Amino acid sequence: MLCIETKNLRKKYASTVAVDSIDLQIESGQVFGFLGPNGAGKSTVIKLLTTLISPSNGEISVLGIDSSKHPLEIRKKIGVVLQQPSYEPTLSAEKSLDKYGMMWNIDKKTRKKRTEELLSAFGLEEIRKKKMEDLSIGQRRRVQVAREFMHNMELLFLDEPTVGLDPTARRKLLDFLRDQVKKSGLTIFYTTHVLSEAEYLCDNIAIINNGKIMAVDSPSELKNRFGHEKTIKIHISTVSEELKLKLSKIPECQIKLEPEPTVVITSTKSEIVLMNILKILNETETKINDLSAIPTNLEEIFLKVVGDSN
Amino acid sequence: MIQINPIIRLVNRNLTISINPGFIIWQILFPLIYIFIAGFAYTSLIDSVPFGGKNLDYPAFLASGMIGFNIMNSTLISGIIIWNDRRHGMFEQIMSGPFTRTHYILSNIVTIGIIGLFSAALITAVGYPVFFDSVEFSIVTIPLIIFGSVVGAILFGSIASIISTKLRSSEGFNVIINTVFLFCAFASTAFYPVQGAPQPLATIFYLNPLSYLVDVIRAGIFGQVTDFVITEMLILVALAAILFVIATKLLTKLDF
Repeated sequence: MLCIETKNLRKKYASTVAVDSIDLQIESGQVFGFLGPNGAGKSTVIKLLTTLISPSNGEISVLGIDSSKHPLEIRKKIGVVLQQPSYEPTLSAEKSLDKYGMMWNIDKKTRKKRTEELLSAFGLEEIRKKKMEDLSIGQRRRVQVAREFMHNMELLFLDEPTVGLDPTARRKLLDFLRDQVKKSGLTIFYTTHVLSEAEYLCDNIAIINNGKIMAVDSPSELKNRFGHEKTIKIHISTVSEELKLKLSKIPECQIKLEPEPTVVITSTKSEIVLMNILKILNETETKINDLSAIPTNLEEIFLKVVGDSN
Repeated sequence: MIQINPIIRLVNRNLTISINPGFIIWQILFPLIYIFIAGFAYTSLIDSVPFGGKNLDYPAFLASGMIGFNIMNSTLISGIIIWNDRRHGMFEQIMSGPFTRTHYILSNIVTIGIIGLFSAALITAVGYPVFFDSVEFSIVTIPLIIFGSVVGAILFGSIASIISTKLRSSEGFNVIINTVFLFCAFASTAFYPVQGAPQPLATIFYLNPLSYLVDVIRAGIFGQVTDFVITEMLILVALAAILFVIATKLLTKLDF
C-alpha cells in the first residue's frame, strides 16, 4: 500500500523554487531516507507532506488521504519531529511527555505507562524531573523524539532527529526506530546529513538537490547504479622521476605526495589498472608500504549524485 | 476512548504551562501592595472619590480599579503563550498535530477568559474587606462584572496576541508589551479618578480601553450602572471584537 504519493509537487516562494515537480511513491512499513545538501528542499517537502504549508502546484496523498481536502485527517494519523527544536521550557521532561499525550487525547493510564516506557527507552530516567529549559540540546532532542511516541500513528516524519545526540544515544535511537517499524509496521520518513545513519536505517533513499529528486532506490541499488568506480590506494616509499613518467601515461591514476606518497586509482576497471601499476612499481623497484581498497559507501554516491546535478 | 474536544485539550495545556506558583503569588501580591499600601497611604491626599451617585473612599476606589488592572495584566499571558510557542517551536508542533488554527485561537481566548475571571475573583476576594461597605451587588451587576471581565480579557488578550505575532526578538517583545501595558495601566481610571484631572489627561484616560473596563467593573460592584457605563460597555465590546478579529487574522497568516 502506498503511504505517500506526490504528483508534480511544486512549492515556490517569490522567485525561488524550493520544490520542483517532485513525484514520490513511498510504500508503507519502511524507513524512507530523504537526503540532500543544505537548502535542497528537504524540510519544505516535509512541511508540504505534513500539511503545514500548501503546495503551489501538484497533488499530495498521505495515507490515502488528499492533503488539500482533509489536512486535519492526515495530521491525526501522523507524527512529526521537525528540524527546529520544540519544547515547553517550564515543563519537566516527564510532564512534557504526559502533556503531549494529553494533547493527543491519550487516556491518563496509557499516558503513565507510555511515559515510563519512553523515559526508559530513551535513557531519560535521570533527567525526568528536570525542566526542559535546563536540558542540553541533545537531551531536549531525545525528549522531542520520545514525545512523538506517546500517541499512535501510522507515519512518522523525522527531520534530522539525531542532531546533538552523542553516538550512543544516536545508535539507541536508530535501533528503537528499526524496532518500531518491525513491531508496528510504522512508516518513517527520515532526513539526515549523517549518511552512515541513512545506510544503517533506511530501506529506500531519495536524494534531492535544488528542489528536484535526483535518485530514488534502495541503498544497495544506489551503490550498484552509481558506484561503478572503485578507489584503490597504494602507499609507496618514494616517488622517482621514472615512476612519475610511467604513471602519467595511465589516466585513471594519480600520485599524491602528502601526507605520504600514494598512488590513487579511481576507475570502473580498477583491478585491471591495478595490475598495470603493480607492474610499473616492480619495474621501477618502488617499495609498497600498504595497499587498500575503499568500498563504495553512500557518502560517495551522495557526493556523486549531488555533484553531477550541480 | 472518550474524545475530549481539541480546544479543551489545548486550554488544559495552556493553563499548565502558564499558571505556576510564581504567577499566582504575583497576581495576589502585586494588587495587595497597591490596595493596602498605596490605597491607605494616598487616603490622606484623596479623601473620597465621586463615582456615579456615590462617594467612595480611595482604598475602595483603588481596590475596584485593581480588578480591571489585574485582568489586563493576567491576559498578557495570551501574548506570552503565542510568543513562547513561536520561539520554542511549539506553534509548528501543535499545527502539525490534530489541531487547526481555529482550535489554537479559540483555546487562547478560553484561556484568557478563564485567567481573566480567575484574576477578577482573586482581587474581588482580596479587596472585598476594603470595599464591602459600599458594595451593591444585584442580579444585574454580577453578570455585568463577569461579562465585563471576559470582554476585557479578550480585548487585552488580543492586544498581547497582536504584539506577539509581530515580534520575534525577546527584547522587542518585552519592550513593546511593557510600554503598552504600562501606558494602559497609568493613563486610566484604575488608579485615579478622572474628575479634577487636566482636560488633556482626562481625554487620554478615555482613549484607553482599561478605563472603560475599570468603570464597568466599578459600576457593577457599587451598583452605579448609568447610561454612560452602558455606552462604555458597548465601546468595550466593539473594541474587543475588532481587536479579536485582527489578532485572529494575524494568527491565521502566521507562516512557518
